[in-house]
Amino acid sequence: MGAGVGVVRGHLITLRRFLLTFWRDWKTGKGFSRRGGGALLIDLFHGPKRGQEPTVTQDYRTDGLFTVEYPDERLPVYERYRVLPVLIYDADDGNVRCTACKICAKVCPPQCIWMSQAKSPKGTVLPLPEDFYIDMDVCMNCGLCAEYCPFDAIKMDHNFELSNYERHQSHIFNLQDLLVSSEFYARTHPEAWASADEVSERNRVAKKRTQWLQKVLASAPQKPAESQAPEAAVAK
Amino acid sequence: MTHETITRPEWSTVIDPVLQKELEQHVLVTSWDKLLGMVDTIYNWGRRSSLWPLGFGLACCAIEMICTASSRFDIARFGAEVFRGSPRQADLMIVSGTVTKTMMPIIARLYDQMPEPKYVIAMGACASGGGPFKEGYNVVSGVDKFLPVDVYIPGCPPTPQSLLNGLMVLQRKIDGEKIDIPLIGREGNTAWYRDDVEREIPVPVLGPDLIDLRTVELAAERTAMGLVEAREAGLDKPALIPAPTVEHAPPPETASARPARKLKHAVARPSLVWLGDERLAQLADDLNRTLGPGTAAIIQAGLLIPPQKLVPVAFYLRDKNPIRYDYLVTIQSVHYTDCIEVVYHLDSTGVPGSLIELRVRAAEAEGAGEVPSLYDVYRGADFQEREVFDMMGVRFEGHPNLKRILMWEGFAYHPLRKDYLEPYYEAPAKVFPSRVDDGLGHHFRAEELNPHGTNLKAPRNYQDWGKLSSLDDPKGRLLVPSGVQVEELATDQYVVSMGPQHPSTHGVFRLNLRVDGETIVGLQPVMGYMHRNHEKIGERNTFLMNFPFTDRLDYLTSMANNFGYALAVEQLLGDEARPPERAEYIRVIMAELTRIASHMWSIGFLLNDLGAFFTPALYAIEERELILDLFEWAAGSRMMCNYFRFGGVAFDLPPGWIERCRGIVNERIDRKIDELDRYLSGNEILLDRTKGVGILDREQAIQFSTSGPVLRASGVAYDIRRVAPYSIYDRFEFRIPTGTVGDVYDRYHVRLEEMRESVRILKQAVRDIPDGPILPRKKTYQIKVPAGEAYSRVENPKGELGYYVVADGSATAYRYHVRSPSFINLTALETMCLGHTIADVVGILGSLDIVLGEVDR
Repeated sequence: MGAGVGVVRGHLITLRRFLLTFWRDWKTGKGFSRRGGGALLIDLFHGPKRGQEPTVTQDYRTDGLFTVEYPDERLPVYERYRVLPVLIYDADDGNVRCTACKICAKVCPPQCIWMSQAKSPKGTVLPLPEDFYIDMDVCMNCGLCAEYCPFDAIKMDHNFELSNYERHQSHIFNLQDLLVSSEFYARTHPEAWASADEVSERNRVAKKRTQWLQKVLASAPQKPAESQAPEAAVAK
Repeated sequence: MTHETITRPEWSTVIDPVLQKELEQHVLVTSWDKLLGMVDTIYNWGRRSSLWPLGFGLACCAIEMICTASSRFDIARFGAEVFRGSPRQADLMIVSGTVTKTMMPIIARLYDQMPEPKYVIAMGACASGGGPFKEGYNVVSGVDKFLPVDVYIPGCPPTPQSLLNGLMVLQRKIDGEKIDIPLIGREGNTAWYRDDVEREIPVPVLGPDLIDLRTVELAAERTAMGLVEAREAGLDKPALIPAPTVEHAPPPETASARPARKLKHAVARPSLVWLGDERLAQLADDLNRTLGPGTAAIIQAGLLIPPQKLVPVAFYLRDKNPIRYDYLVTIQSVHYTDCIEVVYHLDSTGVPGSLIELRVRAAEAEGAGEVPSLYDVYRGADFQEREVFDMMGVRFEGHPNLKRILMWEGFAYHPLRKDYLEPYYEAPAKVFPSRVDDGLGHHFRAEELNPHGTNLKAPRNYQDWGKLSSLDDPKGRLLVPSGVQVEELATDQYVVSMGPQHPSTHGVFRLNLRVDGETIVGLQPVMGYMHRNHEKIGERNTFLMNFPFTDRLDYLTSMANNFGYALAVEQLLGDEARPPERAEYIRVIMAELTRIASHMWSIGFLLNDLGAFFTPALYAIEERELILDLFEWAAGSRMMCNYFRFGGVAFDLPPGWIERCRGIVNERIDRKIDELDRYLSGNEILLDRTKGVGILDREQAIQFSTSGPVLRASGVAYDIRRVAPYSIYDRFEFRIPTGTVGDVYDRYHVRLEEMRESVRILKQAVRDIPDGPILPRKKTYQIKVPAGEAYSRVENPKGELGYYVVADGSATAYRYHVRSPSFINLTALETMCLGHTIADVVGILGSLDIVLGEVDR
C-alpha cells in the first residue's frame, strides 16, 4: 500500500511519547529522581524502610510513564482489597470474635475452611473455635466468608507478600496463624471499622459481654474473682 | 483507602543481632568457602539479575503475569523482561495458572527442554496446590506433583506486585546458592552440576486418566484392587431427578435425604425475552400440521421433539417458518433419571427476541444415547455437539467428526453424567460435612481422600497399563482426513501443530494446521488444555458459591460474567430478586467498564499478533489498568471481582469512586480511544495485514453461531443488549456498530467503535445514577431458588454469554451450563483461515479474541 510511512510514523509515536513524558516529569521536578527511592539521584542501596514506602495513586489525570517501582513504592491498597482471610481478636480484652457458627465454612466456595467448635471440660459447646484451618492453596480470595460473617470475626487481609519456598507445612494456616488484633484491622480497614454496621455489632457484643459478666458475678457471690474467670475461659 | 503500607506485627521476624553474629561466625562460612563465596556472590548476582522467564501462560494468573511485564509494573527492572517463546532460551518457568491434566505432559516437556540451571515459580493457588479447582477431575493438584518448585506465590490471582515479590524471593534463593566444584571436592547446594541427580521429569501420559509413569505400577495395582470404587461405595451420590413433563411432577420419592416439601416452581420460560406462550403453541400446531402429528409437544415452554424428527423440524424452522430460525444459540444437555435431554435454543436474526427451546431426549444409559446431528442445518452445532458427546456420551448421528473435544480420546468417563464421581469426590453438594461437623474439623487435604493419593481414577477393568507411552498424544491426534490433492504444485501437504505453548494462541490453545506449501488447506482447533471442570464444580456449588467461579471463566471480564449468572438465577427467583435502581446502574457501569477493558486488551494483543510486539499493547493496558483500579477499589480485586449478588451487588460504591469513574469516562477514555484510532486505523501495516483477511460473510457468521463483535463485523446487528434487553439497557442511547466485509479489520474496528458506544452508555449512567439501596432485601447466604430452568443471555465483550441453569429446588443447581462465546466463535475459525498463511492465522485468531478460560471452562 504505502511507501513505509506507517513504519516511520509508528516509531515517531513512540519517540514522541517518550520525550513528552520525560518532559512532563522534568517539569514536575521528577526527571531524574526515583519517586520512591532514597535521597540521592541514583540511589541503589538505600530504599525506603519496610512499611514506609510511598504509595503512588494514579487516576484519570495521570499521564506519562506509569511505572510504580515496587518494592520501593507501591500502589495504594484499597480497603476492600482482599488476599487471605484473617480472624480478629479484640485488642482490649483478647477475645476471639469467632463463635464457631460455621457460616464462613458454609459459604466458602472451594471449601477451604475447616473448623471445629470448642467444648468445655464438661462437654458443653462453647462459642469459640477450637481449631480453625484455612488451606491457602485452595482459597480463592473471594471474600464471601468475610462478607457473610455475622460477628465481624473473619476479615480479608491486605498482605500480598506471602511468597515462600515451601507449601506443605506452611500453607495451611491454623488458628494461631490467622489471628490478628482488632487494632490492626482498624488500621487496615478504617472505613469498615467506622461503618454503622460494625460499630453496632461491636456495641452489641460489648453489651452482651457486660451482661454475661454480671450474670457470672452474680451467680458466684462468694468468689471476689472479678472478671478473671470468664476471661480465662474465653482466651482458652 | 490507606496511603501507607501497614505491616502485620505477627509477621515480622526480628533476629537478635547477637544471634545473627553467632550464626555468621559458626554456621555460614569456612575459609575456603569464604574465598569461593565471592565467586558465588558474583555468579549468583549475574544469574539472579537476568532471569529469563518462559513466555508461557496457563490461565488467569497469566494475565497478571503479562501486566507485570507491562509498563506499570515493569518486570524489566528486575532483569526479567526477556520473556522467551522457546523453553531452550529460558531459565525461569512461571507456572501461571491452573495446571490441567491435559496440559501437564506439555508442561513436563517444556520443563525438560529448559537448560540448567532452571527455576520454577508456582504462581497462584492453582499452580501451588490445585486452588479452587482442585476438586475437578481434570486438574493437577499442584504442579509440584511433577516439577520441583522453587517459589510458591499464594493468591488467586496474585497481583503483579505479588509476582514481583515472588521474583524477589526467588532472587534471594539464588543468592544463597553455592556452586559445586568437584575438582576441590566442594559440594554446593546446586543439584544441576551433579551427575548423580536426575533432573529430567518423565512426561506423564494421558491414558484413562493422567498417569504418572513413575508410579504407574502402583496406580495399576490400586486400580485393580478397586480401592477408589470401595471408597465411593460409602459416599452419598448425586440424586437424579426425572425430566420435566407437561405438568409439574410431584417431588420424586428418591433415596435422597431431602425432606418432602412442596417445591416452588419458577415461571416456565426459556429466557427472559422469548417467543411467548401463545405463539409457541401456534408454532407447535404448525409443526404438527406440516410434519405430521407427534412432532412437537410443549413441555415447560419448550418444544419436545422426537429424535427422528429433529432434522426436518430444524430445516422447517430455518427455511419455511414465517420467523426464520436461522441462528442456533446454544446446545445443552441435562442428565435426568429417564433420559439425557439435549436442549437447543434457537433465535432468529431477522426477528430477534423470538427465542425458542427445543428438547430432544436420548437414552440415559452411558454410551447408549443417540441424537441426529444438526451439523448440516447449523454449522455452529459442530463443537457444541462434540462437547455434549464428550461430557455426556450422547452420540450425534451424522456428525462428521465426532471426537472428544475437551478431554482426550481415551479418557475413561463422560464426566458431566451424574453417575461419574471424581477422584476427589466428597459429597453431592456443598457444604461438605467434614468441614463443619463436630469432631471432624481437623484439616486434611483432598489427596488424602483418594486411595491413589493424587487426583487419579481409572476404571477397574483397565488393562493397557503397559502400553502407556509418553510419546503418545491422544489429544492432538490428527483429525484432518488426508488425501486432498493439489495438482499444480508438487509440494506435499503436511501438518503443523501450533500450540498449546505458543505466544500467539492466547493461552493454551492448539491448532493443527494442514498446509500446502504455505497455504492453509485445513485447520483443526485442539482445545481442552484449560478445561477445569467449571460446570461439574458448579453443580456442587450452592448458587451463591458459584459467583467467584464465574469470575474465572473469561478472566478478563469477570464483572460481566457475574452479570450473566446473576440474571440466570434472578430469572428463577422472579420478582423477589429484582435489583433496586442503584444496583442496576452500578451493574451497567461495571459491565461497560469491563467491555472497555476487555476490548482494550483485545486490540492491543491483536496488534501483538500482527507483529507489533507489545508496544501497542502497552498503550492499551494502561487504560485497562485504570479501570482495574476502579474494580479493585469497589470490589476488592483487580480481576476476580465477585461483585454481583442476586438482586444487586455486594457492596455500595466507596466514597470518591463515582467521581473518579466520571473523570475517566468523561475526560480520559474518549481521548485515548481516539488516540488508538489515530495511531492504528490508518496504519498501512495494519491495513495490509487485516484488510481482506479472514473474511466471514454474513450468512456464514450466522450459520456458525458466532456472536459478539465477530458476528457484528459481518454485518449482522445482533447485540443482546438490543435484541433481548436485560437489566436497564433499554434506557440508554447507543448505537450498534457493524462491519461490512467481515474481515479482521472490521472486527478490530467494531471493537473500537463499541468502546466508544460503551463510553456513551457510561456517560449516561454516571450522570443518572440514583442513590438508594443496592439489594432488595437483607443480605443472606441461604438462597431458596425455585425449581425450574432458566437461560440468561448477556452481551459479553467476547459475544453472547449464556448461563443455563436447571434448579431442582435444592441449594445447588441441578445442571449448570455456560454458553461460552469464545468456544462457539472458534467453530468458524477454519473457514476464515482457509487459503491464508500461518502468519494470517495468528491475526485471525487474534481478531476472534478468545479467552481460554472460557473456551475450555
